[in-house]
Amino acid sequence: MTETISAAVLPSILFLTALIALFSDKNSFDSFLSGAADGMKSAAGLLPSLCALIVAVEMLFASGFAEFLSGALSGVLGAVGIPSEIVPLLITRPISGSASTAAYTELLDKYGPDSMAVLIASVIMGSSDTVIYVISVYFSSVGITKTRHAMAAALLTMIFSIFLSSIVCRLFFG
Amino acid sequence: MLGRCFSVLVILSFIFAAATGNLPALSGAILDGASKAVTLSISLLGIMCLWGGIMSLLSASGIISRLSRLLRPVLVHVFPHAFKTGVGADEIVACVSANLFGIGNAATPLAITAMKRMQEENKSDTATDDMVTLSVLGTASFNLFPSTLVALRRAAGAVDPYAVIIPIWITSAAGCIAAIILSRAMAPFTRGHHK
Repeated sequence: MTETISAAVLPSILFLTALIALFSDKNSFDSFLSGAADGMKSAAGLLPSLCALIVAVEMLFASGFAEFLSGALSGVLGAVGIPSEIVPLLITRPISGSASTAAYTELLDKYGPDSMAVLIASVIMGSSDTVIYVISVYFSSVGITKTRHAMAAALLTMIFSIFLSSIVCRLFFG
Repeated sequence: MLGRCFSVLVILSFIFAAATGNLPALSGAILDGASKAVTLSISLLGIMCLWGGIMSLLSASGIISRLSRLLRPVLVHVFPHAFKTGVGADEIVACVSANLFGIGNAATPLAITAMKRMQEENKSDTATDDMVTLSVLGTASFNLFPSTLVALRRAAGAVDPYAVIIPIWITSAAGCIAAIILSRAMAPFTRGHHK
C-alpha cells in the first residue's frame, strides 16, 4: 500500500507540472528551463567541496581507523543498551552513504534480517542520513563557511535517534 | 567548519595509516575518492536540473505560495525569519513537503534552492538561524517509504521486510522534532559570531 502510493508521487508531480505548463497563459516552460539552468549551476558548483570531502572520507576508511574506533567503542555502547554488533554501522552512517549501506548489508548476512541487532540497525538506517554530506552540500552550495551549531545539533539529533531506535525496537519486537 | 572537517579527517587517516603500515592503501583511496566525487556530481546535475525546473514552474503558477500560506502557522515557529519576511518561505515549504512525501532525491535540490534564496538576503559567510534549522532538519530527513532498505531486507529473506516501517516512522518523527528543538535552542549560543 505505502509502496504504491510512494511510487505514484513522483509521476503525479510531473503530471501536474505538465498540466500547468499546458493550460497557463504565462510561458511556463521558459520558467522551467530557467529554474533547471540554475539547478545545474548549483550542482556543478558542488564538485570542489564534494571532492575534498569524499577524498577525506575514503582516506579514513582505507587507513583502518574506522575499524579501530569500532573495536574501541563496542564495549562502551554495549553497556548503554546499544548492541555492539552495529558499531560499524554507527561509525559509517554520519560520514558515508555507500559505506553505511555496505556495513548494513554485512550485518544482514552475519546476523539475519530478523535478529534484534539488525532490526535496530534497520531503524537507524531508515531514520538518519549522512550528516556530514548533507551539511556540507547545503552550505557549500551558497558559499557559507561559518556553519555555527549545524554540525553539533545534527550529531546530537543522530545520537538521540540511535538511542530511540534501540528503545522503540525493543518495545516493538522484544 | 568544512575546512576543519577535511583537515581532521585527512591528518587522522595519515597518522593512523602510517602507524599501522596502511599507507599503500591510502593512495588508492585518494584517487578513488576524487573520481567518486565526479560520479556523484554528475548524478546530482540531472536531478538538480529537474527539480530546479519543476520548482520554478510551480512557483510561477502560484501553487507553492498557496501551500506555503497553509503551512505558515506551523512553520513560522520553526523558521521565524523566513516566514515573517517571506524570504525563502516558499522554497522551504517545497523542501519540507518533499521530505514529508519521501520523494527520492528531491529534498537536497529543493533545500539548495531554499538556501540560495535565504543567502540572497544574508550576504555573509555565516549561516543564519533558519539556514541551520533547515540543514539539521535535512540530516534527520523523514522517510515515508525507505525503499532501498526494504529491498535489502527482502533480498536477505526477512520474515516481514516491512516490519520496520512503523518503528522508522516513530523514530524519524521524533528525530525531526529533536532536530528542530535542538537547532532552535542552540541558536542563541552561537549567534555571537553572527554579524
